[in-house]
Amino acid sequence: MKLTKNVSPEDREMINSIFWRSFTVFASRAGATKAHAPGFMYSILPAINRYYKDDKKAQAEALSRHTTWYNITQNVGTFVMGLVASMEKKNSEDPDFDTDSIVALKTSLMGPLSGIGDSIFWGVLRVIAAGIGISLASQGSIFGPILFLIIYNVPAILTRYYLTYMGFTLGDTFISDMYKSGSMQLLNKAASTLGLMMIGCMTASMVTFKSKLSIPITGGKPILIQTYLDQLWKGLVPLVVTLGCYWLLSKKVNVNWILLGVLVLAIVLGLLGVV
Amino acid sequence: MLKTAILAALCVFVCFGGNWLWGQTMIERPLVVGMITGLIFGDIRTGIMMGASLEAIFMGAVDIGGALSAEPVTATVLATTFSIILNVNQKAALAIAVPIGVFAAFISMFMKNVVMNIFAPVVDKVAASDNQKGLIWTHFGMWFLNYFVFSLVTFFSILAGAKPVQHLVSAIPQNLMAGLSATGGLLPAVGFAILMRMLWSKKLSPFYFLGFILTAYLQLPSVAVAAIGIIIVVLQWQRDKQIMDIENKQVALKSQSAVVTNTNANEMEQEEEDFFS
Repeated sequence: MKLTKNVSPEDREMINSIFWRSFTVFASRAGATKAHAPGFMYSILPAINRYYKDDKKAQAEALSRHTTWYNITQNVGTFVMGLVASMEKKNSEDPDFDTDSIVALKTSLMGPLSGIGDSIFWGVLRVIAAGIGISLASQGSIFGPILFLIIYNVPAILTRYYLTYMGFTLGDTFISDMYKSGSMQLLNKAASTLGLMMIGCMTASMVTFKSKLSIPITGGKPILIQTYLDQLWKGLVPLVVTLGCYWLLSKKVNVNWILLGVLVLAIVLGLLGVV
Repeated sequence: MLKTAILAALCVFVCFGGNWLWGQTMIERPLVVGMITGLIFGDIRTGIMMGASLEAIFMGAVDIGGALSAEPVTATVLATTFSIILNVNQKAALAIAVPIGVFAAFISMFMKNVVMNIFAPVVDKVAASDNQKGLIWTHFGMWFLNYFVFSLVTFFSILAGAKPVQHLVSAIPQNLMAGLSATGGLLPAVGFAILMRMLWSKKLSPFYFLGFILTAYLQLPSVAVAAIGIIIVVLQWQRDKQIMDIENKQVALKSQSAVVTNTNANEMEQEEEDFFS
């Protein structure tokens, strides 16, 4: 790809090193105040060591800058790592460079990048991969988990790789250009559309409910409630329960209460002999 | 039981710790955890099938915006272990897994947000002294400590909990068992609701129902629904891009014509003034 070709061999070596180190970024979590700062520091060490080669003091300063809270969806976070590397480079060349801008830019990108990263990787890619994986795995096929891993990881790791380069070469103007030109909006809409369709598909196939209630008729076959429900609307109960959970969530009810609520509901239905 | 407990704890350590050591590659998802647990306990088929059911339940277990959701790894390993080693009915094992997951999530959060705070000053110190070796040790040491301690939860659960769980499950009356089985069917709803929170908008909501209908009524497999979805997205993208380009052009034209009309207006004013004078 063009992106990786225009980079000098030394730069390429450094960026590749950052790319590989970025895999460990979430290995540690230094409490609620720093989150994944150690992983970020470890990932950009190649840049720090290169641009402040023999200056121990500048290295310490650079490292201390990056002890602040860090948390971005992994696969898009490498963009910030590449960007920080390019800014540390500028800082090492220009004595008047405002180092606060490095941290400010890094922090300001966390929200928007995670927003798009979470919805694409967690909301869409993982859901599609899991949907395909589950349908195979529920028959006991080993291809279920394997396909799941391949479908998710190939695009996820490619994104991680190219974004490291893009962060370094395109820098801070890129994201704002994306927003200005409207392509970020298009990307968001596309991700949401596909994601919602897959969730609808999975609501229908994976949320299941079957009532064994029946109305006895004298001198005839008993009427099964489930047949009526299916005639009314296929998957009525699963759809209503899912939309109900969504409604509760949008009313800011804690997830765990909803989980326990559904658990209790199902058990009560069982005790009453409905299911 | 000691051997089982150690193996199960190892599964948690490898899947949970490994996932975060190596790029969140999803080896902590129930689909994969179930397979690995099944492999270790010699019944890979049961493992994969348990993994599929648990994946559906925990699909939405994502910590978004700080909300604490259930932790799937411990839940999957314990449910699969119970199912293979203790011959607990698969559906009952699923129902047991959910409260375990909620409890494990609490311990996980406690470790990450409270216990690991001890190391925050260490991170500052190694940075201030440019102690890069120290930084690497802190980074990976914290990783090992966190997931080692966390896998002890599974170790002690199996060691202490296996017998009581077995007794409990064999004592469950049939009605309650039916209810427990039904939870396995209804719980994925919560997960999907969490995902919908992330993606839902009024304008796009018809697509949720489209996906539902394609599956419920036309019985299309998920690959087909995904393919239809991609086609829709591509068409939608092209149309939106066109509209966007037209709008941009209009804006450009307007700003041009605005200059022209301004001068026109000036002339008009001039004429009017001339007329009334």
